[in-house]
Amino acid sequence: MASRYITESREQHKRYKEDVEREGKAFHPYAMFHDTVMSLVVVCVIVGLACVWFFTADEASEPDGASTSGTLGVLYEEKADPGTTSFIPRPDWYFYFLFYLLRIFKWPDSVVLGTVGLPTIALVLLLALPFIDRRRERRLSRRPVALIAAALTVVTMGVLTYKGATAEEGTGATGDVARWIEENNIPEGDAQEGAQLFAESGCTNCHTYLGSGVANLGAPDLSGIGNEMDADQLQAYVANPRQFGNQVMPVYGDTLSEEQLAQIAAFLEASKGGG
Amino acid sequence: MAVAPPPTRRRKRRMDKVVEVVNIPLNWLEERSGIVGGVKYFLFRRVPRDTNWFHTLGSATLTAFLVQAGTGVILAFYYQPTPDEAYESIRHITHDVTLGWLVRGMHRWGASVFIILLFLHMGRVFLFGAYKYPRELNWIVGVLILPLALLMGFTGYLLPWDQTAYWATVVGINLNGTGPLVGPLLAQFLRGGDEIGAETLTRFYALHMLLLPGALFALIGLHLYLVVRLGVSSPPWSDEAAGRERPEPEPSGDGGLVRPRARVPGRPRGE
Repeated sequence: MASRYITESREQHKRYKEDVEREGKAFHPYAMFHDTVMSLVVVCVIVGLACVWFFTADEASEPDGASTSGTLGVLYEEKADPGTTSFIPRPDWYFYFLFYLLRIFKWPDSVVLGTVGLPTIALVLLLALPFIDRRRERRLSRRPVALIAAALTVVTMGVLTYKGATAEEGTGATGDVARWIEENNIPEGDAQEGAQLFAESGCTNCHTYLGSGVANLGAPDLSGIGNEMDADQLQAYVANPRQFGNQVMPVYGDTLSEEQLAQIAAFLEASKGGG
Repeated sequence: MAVAPPPTRRRKRRMDKVVEVVNIPLNWLEERSGIVGGVKYFLFRRVPRDTNWFHTLGSATLTAFLVQAGTGVILAFYYQPTPDEAYESIRHITHDVTLGWLVRGMHRWGASVFIILLFLHMGRVFLFGAYKYPRELNWIVGVLILPLALLMGFTGYLLPWDQTAYWATVVGINLNGTGPLVGPLLAQFLRGGDEIGAETLTRFYALHMLLLPGALFALIGLHLYLVVRLGVSSPPWSDEAAGRERPEPEPSGDGGLVRPRARVPGRPRGE
């Protein structure tokens, strides 16, 4: 059969065109009026945001410094410095859902699900929507599945965005160094120096260690990493994670000296899981 | 001697003359392009009588996009896409250029407004079931606009070359690298080398200023063409929705099928 759905749809659209021709209103000025008012509102909101943003923040006091933070945040941060290792990256708010999604998946097994898998599935579902929902019914009260799917999507995106926005940041863990040394029996010398460096270099922005830090971007807990890798491997890994197929972790070989890398590796090798 | 015509007649004649003069370039244009007819068709086409404020979300999104395009061009007059100068030029725009802060602020916040409106517009179309026959293709075009808009956000985020910009991009590109097969190649391409630097900045600049806006303009153009061609759908709850089901007509004969022509505002009189 030439599909009842398509036949009926064609009839309905023919009826639609006739109705619009017979009963419709002219786009200009009737719909145009609504559109113009709404567009003016949009422009006013944008200008308003720009004004609040600018007038509540002040110029930086030093040449490469950040501006003071206003109601809507800073005008700019400090100038980009590839040499810092402790800066906590934050995306713009509309990527927070992705940012948080990546806390749920762990490197290296499933992180690809968060970065590629789920977003791709979502996009394909959206593209395929008109072919999945092949009914002519448009009233929401008779589209319970669509309604529930929409509600779930909104709630999920809302929760992920909120969680991403309020995710605690792994601010300097230097206060925890003494506890790490005690709990993991870190030997004196290079390894303890390494613990201090580990806390200062922003590692805890993504990795957790004996309860310190926050898990971001799928990075694993390092409390017991010494059970799995030795110092040489660890040093090579931190210096260039790309060699090991890790595309997420920053390359530290350029920002930390050979000696510092060795100290961090010594610390990590001595980390046997808090036992 | 000819008697001067009464003032109303004279005014009318003057008016006719003005119309004639205005029409000369318009007719010239129309004869060679048909664009005047196109604009007239666009403006005076009929839309369902029950369209409402929900239907303005699309044009609101378009407005936000045009604000981005306009402010983006102005920012490009002053912005320098090199690691040494990008940050300085952003500060220069913010503090020295006349109203530079406003243009940059509008571009920065307009991006968020654009994304929000995209989602609201998409939600409206979903809840109205307006993606159904014959508007499937237009839904698909709209869905394709969404990732492009997000990519605009991603590429634009690096350009101020401050700490947030830099480190968020480090993470963003590294995440790209996790993708199967093409992931590492894509990350390498975006970085333009092994580390983020001058080449990354120029690549993001080119994507943000040339490739993505071009693609967005093309898709939005197609989107609008399809909107005009297919028409917007009535709200699904409307009793007078265009294309609504009619009760089976009574089989009884004469005159029963004739519907009185509805008087509708906007319908030219005397037709």
